[in-house]
Amino acid sequence: MIVIDHDACIFCGGCSSVCPASAIELKGTRVATYPEKCIDCGLCVKACPANVIEMFKGIKRVEDLPEEVRKKYGV
Amino acid sequence: MEVDVAVVGAGPAGSTFARIAAQAGLEVVVFDKRKELGNPVRCGEGLGVAEPMREGLELPRYAYSVEIYGAKVVAPNGKEIIMRNENTRGWVLERKYFDKWLGELAVDKGAKIYAYHRVFDAKKEDDGVTLSVMDENDKVSHVKAKLVISAEGMEALTARKLGFPTIHRLYDVDTCYQYEMKPYDHENLIELYFGNKIAPRGYVWVFPKAARKANVGIGIGAHLITGQKRGGLDGATPKVFLDEFIVNNDQLKEASKLLDFGGVISVGAPIDRFVDDRVMVIGTAAKQVDPIHGGGIELAMHAGTLAADAAIKAFEKNDFSKDMLYNGYEKPWRDSRGAELDLRLRLRKALEALSDDDLNYIFEAVSGNELLDVMAGNVAPVVAKVLKGRPSLLKVLGPLVKG
Repeated sequence: MIVIDHDACIFCGGCSSVCPASAIELKGTRVATYPEKCIDCGLCVKACPANVIEMFKGIKRVEDLPEEVRKKYGV
Repeated sequence: MEVDVAVVGAGPAGSTFARIAAQAGLEVVVFDKRKELGNPVRCGEGLGVAEPMREGLELPRYAYSVEIYGAKVVAPNGKEIIMRNENTRGWVLERKYFDKWLGELAVDKGAKIYAYHRVFDAKKEDDGVTLSVMDENDKVSHVKAKLVISAEGMEALTARKLGFPTIHRLYDVDTCYQYEMKPYDHENLIELYFGNKIAPRGYVWVFPKAARKANVGIGIGAHLITGQKRGGLDGATPKVFLDEFIVNNDQLKEASKLLDFGGVISVGAPIDRFVDDRVMVIGTAAKQVDPIHGGGIELAMHAGTLAADAAIKAFEKNDFSKDMLYNGYEKPWRDSRGAELDLRLRLRKALEALSDDDLNYIFEAVSGNELLDVMAGNVAPVVAKVLKGRPSLLKVLGPLVKG
């Protein structure tokens, strides 16, 4: 799955444009992600001009993210 | 709700379509996920004069920042070429006001625009397409339309749901970052800086704006970004390259950054079909973008006019089939713009294969008027001239002249 730093996100839609799994959407004023759809391909990480996306391969649920990651991103 | 036409996206493509279709008496609703049309801006804001002229529109003063009289392209070694003719005239827009103006024109003709309404699903039935729409309070409603227009820009999620191949490959997108900066003194020229160290597979642009401001941006090939993290320029993000450009520019290094934003630009080929039964995909959603400069406003407005004509005919005949929409919109689009964009794509691919030394050589050998010829599609004489002096470029430049 991916985690987005929403404070630094510039809401450009680059990530959702390249996501082959439709796992990312611009929703309201925020970028929504769907971890269950994410295929860990990393294209969004590369396309992001603001470098605010971090990928955690093999993890499907927010609860399984490392403690420090959840703290850092507030998820 | 049941309507004649539902348009997804109130950018230049969607609003142009809505204006013409509504004027002809069709019932048109437009949904846009943004709270305010045109905001946030995700654009360099350049537009050539051709498009509003073609439609007989007069651009209001508040919708643009400055007029542009030409372009200055700069080689890796700093050598400048200035291009100036009718085709390089244009504006740097205020997209925020420009998009709203186009939306208002559509409303004036009878279209209904819903801002802050996000289309999140689309299902095709025999007698129409049903869109699922979420409003600002997360309330969901369903809208059934006889015809749906996807004018959604880069993401094109509705078109994707309806089976169009709108996902972008990294190789065919530039990832971009841009600052609005001040002060910057300019000559009413758009400035483009090339070089593999400055902007790998892309360029830096400086688009002047009023009151000594400028949009200073960069696009680089998204596939070239190899490392996730910053540090060193190799594998860095566009922002890192742009910051490096700015500290090395005498004027810009002293200027303030008033705003920063970014995005991705399609620089590949248009999608292989724009229509299906009861659906047309127009503008950037169909990847109708110039692969050389990433500009899409003019192409979007043109597609909007063609698709609106097709929609009017479809309603006259009560025929919303793929073939009907193909003949009304896709075919005239491909006939009028297909070859031009294909050449631009081959130019982009040639450009990205050139070393800085090759670029410097070409800037030395070629004049501004010759570059204008290339941009107008007359490539062969310039290629011949360059190859005469540097035959080693045959493999790179050869594909530009065949076909």
